[in-house]
Amino acid sequence: MATRSKVSASANGQPRASKKPARADLIPTEWGEAGAIERLRKMMLIRAFEEKAEELFSLGRVHGTMHLSIGQEASAVGAASALRVGDYLLNTHRGHGHCLAWFGSDEKLMMAEFMGKESGYCRGRGGSMHIANVDANNLGANGIVAGGLPISVGVGLSIKQRATDQVCLSVFGDGGANTGAFHESVNMASIWQLPVIYLCENNQYAMSMPMKKAFNIPQVSDRAKGYGIPGVTVDGNDIVAVYRVFQDAVARARAGQGPTLIEALTYRWRGHSKSDKQAYRTRDEVKEWQAQDPIRRFGRVLKLSDAEFDGHRVWADQRINEAVAFSEASAEPKIDQILEGIFA
Amino acid sequence: MRELTYVEAIREALNQAMAADPRVFLIGEDVGVYGGAFGASAGLHQQYGAGRVVDTPISEAGIAGACVGAALTGMRPVGEIQFMDFITISMEQLVLQAAKIRYMFGGKATVPMVLRTPGGSGTGAAAQHSESLENWFVHIPGLKVVMPSTPYDAKGLLLSAIDDDNPVIFVEHKLLYKTKGPVPEEPYRIPLTQTDVKRVGQHLTVVATSMMVPRALQAAEQLAAEGIELEVVDPRTLSPLDDAPIIRSVIKTGRLMVVHEAHRNGGFGGEIVGRVAESEAFDYLEAPIKRLCGLDVPIPYNRTLEAAAVPQVADIVREAKALVK
Amino acid sequence: MPKFGFTQESAEIVRWLKRAGEAVEQGDPIAEVTTDKVNMEVEAPADGILDGLRFKEGDTVPVTHVIAWVRGPNETVPPVGAALVAAPAPDAAPAPDAAAAPANALPVKSTPLAAKVAADLGVDPAVVAGTGPGGKVMRADVEAAAPIVAASQAPAGKVAASPAARRVARELGVDLHAVTGTGPRGRVQSDDVRAAERAATRAAPTGPTGPTGPTGAPATDQTTTGRPDTAITRLPLQGMRRTIATRLQKSYQEAPHVFFEAQIDVTAAEALRAKVNGRLPKDAARVSLTVVIARACAWALKRHPLVNSHLVGAPGQEAIVMNAAINIGIAVALDAAPDDPTGSGGLIVPVVHDVGAKGFEALAADLADLSKRARGNKLRPEDVMDGTFTISNLGMFGVDRFTAIINPPQVAILAVAAARRQFVPDADGNPVARPIMAVTLSADHRVVDGAVAARFLSDLRAVLEDPALMLA
Repeated sequence: MATRSKVSASANGQPRASKKPARADLIPTEWGEAGAIERLRKMMLIRAFEEKAEELFSLGRVHGTMHLSIGQEASAVGAASALRVGDYLLNTHRGHGHCLAWFGSDEKLMMAEFMGKESGYCRGRGGSMHIANVDANNLGANGIVAGGLPISVGVGLSIKQRATDQVCLSVFGDGGANTGAFHESVNMASIWQLPVIYLCENNQYAMSMPMKKAFNIPQVSDRAKGYGIPGVTVDGNDIVAVYRVFQDAVARARAGQGPTLIEALTYRWRGHSKSDKQAYRTRDEVKEWQAQDPIRRFGRVLKLSDAEFDGHRVWADQRINEAVAFSEASAEPKIDQILEGIFA
Repeated sequence: MRELTYVEAIREALNQAMAADPRVFLIGEDVGVYGGAFGASAGLHQQYGAGRVVDTPISEAGIAGACVGAALTGMRPVGEIQFMDFITISMEQLVLQAAKIRYMFGGKATVPMVLRTPGGSGTGAAAQHSESLENWFVHIPGLKVVMPSTPYDAKGLLLSAIDDDNPVIFVEHKLLYKTKGPVPEEPYRIPLTQTDVKRVGQHLTVVATSMMVPRALQAAEQLAAEGIELEVVDPRTLSPLDDAPIIRSVIKTGRLMVVHEAHRNGGFGGEIVGRVAESEAFDYLEAPIKRLCGLDVPIPYNRTLEAAAVPQVADIVREAKALVK
Repeated sequence: MPKFGFTQESAEIVRWLKRAGEAVEQGDPIAEVTTDKVNMEVEAPADGILDGLRFKEGDTVPVTHVIAWVRGPNETVPPVGAALVAAPAPDAAPAPDAAAAPANALPVKSTPLAAKVAADLGVDPAVVAGTGPGGKVMRADVEAAAPIVAASQAPAGKVAASPAARRVARELGVDLHAVTGTGPRGRVQSDDVRAAERAATRAAPTGPTGPTGPTGAPATDQTTTGRPDTAITRLPLQGMRRTIATRLQKSYQEAPHVFFEAQIDVTAAEALRAKVNGRLPKDAARVSLTVVIARACAWALKRHPLVNSHLVGAPGQEAIVMNAAINIGIAVALDAAPDDPTGSGGLIVPVVHDVGAKGFEALAADLADLSKRARGNKLRPEDVMDGTFTISNLGMFGVDRFTAIINPPQVAILAVAAARRQFVPDADGNPVARPIMAVTLSADHRVVDGAVAARFLSDLRAVLEDPALMLA
């Protein structure tokens, strides 16, 4: 049973630079040129969405708060690339990327949800932290750290009882890995060999608490040993690496061989939420990680010219502007329907 | 009619629900070979196998979450939390996930799960195994709270709870498990949110829940000999509450006493009193309303103290007389 | 000024980190600001030249307001007074009514002195109309409002009574202060109120003859059945309506009513009325048939005093009170308020006192005055008190005959229908057309037997058909 990382990590948590493999090894053949571009564009769409959401928030046109995953796009798109329609997603509140990367997602409905409109995924009742697309088995982002972990046990049980080969992707962060729910959930999934893939997006901070101070082990994936399941740490800013690791985990899950714990090393460029002064880290540290921008990295892998690269980004911005226009034209929820949807 | 104990009635409901619908499964600590700490699932493991009667580690958050996830994806799980006290460990999954998912997702998801749990004192198990926490859940929109007081109600309400497309907290009582009553053999359903008048009387309305229902009925027997007729009303489903029969009863009798085992502070009695005070029944009140509840104290171990901490038949008789005077 | 937090409404500029005219790059911190939570940095949203600083250090700025511009090298900054807010927020859903958005209500503006005086006097400034600048509440406003507010808040003296007792007292018009409570600690129970009401009714020698109280549109409770064209209006039985309902139900249940009808030829009465009216001054009230009938009733009542009596006292101790005065109540239908969905303004029975001692002109004046004041809601308590007999005349509505319910403690009431021309035999047996009017006497059989009622009616017919008898 494989238990350790394919990609090792340096002491500061950043992936160690490795020898550059040839391009043919980098782009999975099953993606093809078009599939690779599609994935690049998906990451750009996520980036454009979040930057627009941030702008709308500072203009007071989106309210509440939001937890941006800017810098973490490769983890979301890489994971979804290894899954298929019919699989389940339990997401975190830094999960805009996963939601947009998921099957059949529509950035218009997502933006409408951000703006609290009736046309949004959750009719404006959920907002940034609770976006779900139940029809597509996206069982929702969760406002509670590790809130989705116990639920993924039930999803796994349900798959097992219904005897399908679906897989449940359960996302959480380095913060979530330190909750009791993490232990209960991974333990139950492992004793029952449930088809759950635990994806810990280790973005180095639980709000302000650095990963180094919150764990007495080098990597979150080391915890897998305690449950007798494979644990893998991967460069979360490398979409292809994430995809490859997921391919293995998905194959095991579909074959009834139980859960895998995947730790994707990444970094959030923005603060925890909108009211974060970021006193716990330096600008230099942020810049260092920004040099590892998963989108630019994949652009370089694809050997795109600046013009080609920017062209894709223009496409993404255009899509997002259309989503904003759609959302602004959408109706507000009606107050007399406030009590709808409490009970079935 | 055939008589069953309360726990037998629950077991029969579970068995009939599992036989009728392959989506129904049981999950909890020691629900399998052991048969459940109080025997509610005895024999079902042998009948349906470990795949449908799932023994879990000591993981109350995990049990609740497993119910939520399975319910979200097409199953109809029935979880068991061994003692209601331990449900405190499941609160996040119940309150923040099960109750809210449907609403947060714009009404586009359903969470058809039941979580059974025995509450109440009287077994000498002291403060951490005697809680009556039902009102914690009554407070949460999106959860249904059911509390049967008889074997007949237990079976009919449990079958309805399993049918229901919403999360239901099903609160049983350890002292009721051994009580007997008539229970039809065929599956039957008692609608949720249907208050039941357990005894008709004209002098005082007594709204009682769970174990306090048989105690109120006993008190009513004693008082009838003195010419005082209690009307004993059992809400059965605490939330969403069917309050109309309670209001009608108070209009008739002009007097109200609420009896429950849970502590008075922030207890369900306050909700009943509030509903009545807001209703047209207010204008028919002839006396101040009385709440007869558990004392605001952790349940003590000592037998005498334990009994003194929650309403007994003699307490109901005494307070009823004072109100009707 | 960007918004940083959930609830943040403004931020204070602590320090400008760049000066006007300085070049900035996107992401450069340009100002340090402080919110209620933390200090934050405002970053340049774009590359360019910082310019047009709108606020100085120490200023508090609402979120989304422009604090400065990042302009291109050849651009100029818009003048002060142009767009103050960065971009308009899209319209929020309109609140359906004020109650749904109480948090948005503007706080009451009042001067500090007014606020202090208001606190001292126990007046809520929110209920005081301000006369100061911009509607600000001034000290004088509070002082002027204080007595009014105090009056509306003044307790009438508290009585320990159950909610049920208060309801019954409301319905029966019983003052709780006068009721002895038999409940715990002397609390008044609903049965105490009912007992007190029974005792009061029976003890009263001359109780009020008619319901009083302001009319007006009752509070309505409109519900629909789901189809928009079938609105059902539910009206609480209250005020005068409830008084009428309670009193008449009680009368009809307690007094065994017997009815006696007579057909009266009013040719002579009408002729007399016309003659008298012809001699009245122009501005005097006209003598109506009701006036003539009232005067005739007084004449007959004098001859049959039992019909003019009261029945009073608690059960088992009832007494017949033979009234000396003949005071006749005349039922008056009141006009409905324009917005009253029932279309009925209710009923009131003002009393013409000492009818037997008054001439037609005086009676007509009294009745006109009472009717006018009844319809204007200006009756005084004595105007409706001490009635000994009642006339209800619906003749003007063309009613052929009807019966009326006795107004306790009176023992009889006369229902007067329309006079219609009918053929009746004259002295020679030939048919002649005469105005014939049906009257029905309702009598309380506990006091008035059939023969007494019959003789009264016989005399009434005699005097109406030959009014000269009134002189006798």
